[in-house]
Amino acid sequence: MSINLSTVIWSFLNFFLILFVLYKFGLNPVLNFLDNRSEGIAKDISDAEDSRNEATALLQEYQEKIAGAREEAQDIIAKANKMAEDERAALLAQTRDETAVMLEKARQEIRLERDLALKDLRQEVSTLAIMGAEKILRRNINAEDNMKMIDDFLSEAGEIH
Amino acid sequence: MEEAEVLFSIGGLEVTGHVTTMWAIMVVLVLIFFLATRKMEKVPGRFQCAAEYTVEGLLNYFSGIMGREQARRYFILLCTLFLFILFSNWSGILPLAGQFEGFKAPTSTLSVPVALALIAFFSTQYAGIREHGVVRYLKKFCSPIILMLPLNIIEELVRPLSLSLRLFGNIFGEEMVVVVLFSLVPYFVPSLMQMLGLLFGFIQAVVFTTLTAIYISSATAEAH
Repeated sequence: MSINLSTVIWSFLNFFLILFVLYKFGLNPVLNFLDNRSEGIAKDISDAEDSRNEATALLQEYQEKIAGAREEAQDIIAKANKMAEDERAALLAQTRDETAVMLEKARQEIRLERDLALKDLRQEVSTLAIMGAEKILRRNINAEDNMKMIDDFLSEAGEIH
Repeated sequence: MEEAEVLFSIGGLEVTGHVTTMWAIMVVLVLIFFLATRKMEKVPGRFQCAAEYTVEGLLNYFSGIMGREQARRYFILLCTLFLFILFSNWSGILPLAGQFEGFKAPTSTLSVPVALALIAFFSTQYAGIREHGVVRYLKKFCSPIILMLPLNIIEELVRPLSLSLRLFGNIFGEEMVVVVLFSLVPYFVPSLMQMLGLLFGFIQAVVFTTLTAIYISSATAEAH
């Protein structure tokens, strides 16, 4: 059993050659690749985490916005309702006033017309009475009555004076 | 053990069957990693998955021994050691291995484990000096008292010796057992032994790299 120096030297040379080749083209690329992939996966996971957080934040923001919008809409509706109510009340009041005015006016007119009609009627009645009286007088008044009437008139006049 | 026949020499360096097998193993390793990493996809295919599984499994294993940071720093060295030894061990189980001169499991000759153990040894020293600086690292050999210096040095030097002898002994012994069994009972029994050889080859690769990882980890550890 002996050592062949040439073989030892060849072993050194061969080993360092294969070491170099594997370092350059075999193991190092695999190691780097594995490292890169690990980093990539870690980065992907953290990115996904970030995205999820972002999405959650956005969702919350939007939910808040929607809630706000809903509240605002409620406000607007309430305001509109109130406005409509006010408008209606105002209109009603105005109508009521106008109606009252119109009513008053109508009443006045009616009163006026009635007065006029009464006046006309009175005139008519008095005319008719006079006509009737004339007729009666034409037929029934005799000298006696005439005298009596004159006497009555004169006595009344005399009382006044 | 008979000397391996020299096939040819390049620049004065003799090339034996163990060396040519090493080259073949290198080509196979490079080919595997080339195919596995040719087109790295985020969602891995079957081949890439196997490569990722191997790399990640080894990284986790070494992390358990020396901590994640150190494991990452010396991973290329440890992983290459592991794969190189594993394929070397397993190459002895392939049919025709050892049957002709150009095809011999590299770890079945002492020279290759010695070289690998020396690499582990020098890597350990490098890691210690890198971590602590020369003076502090050398001071570690005098701890806890100066009297321990020779023992510490012997301990340090015995490590590559035990690493190389263990690896060589196991693989060589396993091959010898197969050869002997083959000559006694040519059928079935040697293949059983070869199946065990698969397991032994794996275990020896694990042991070698685990010990190297432990040595590096203890060299870089804070002195207590």
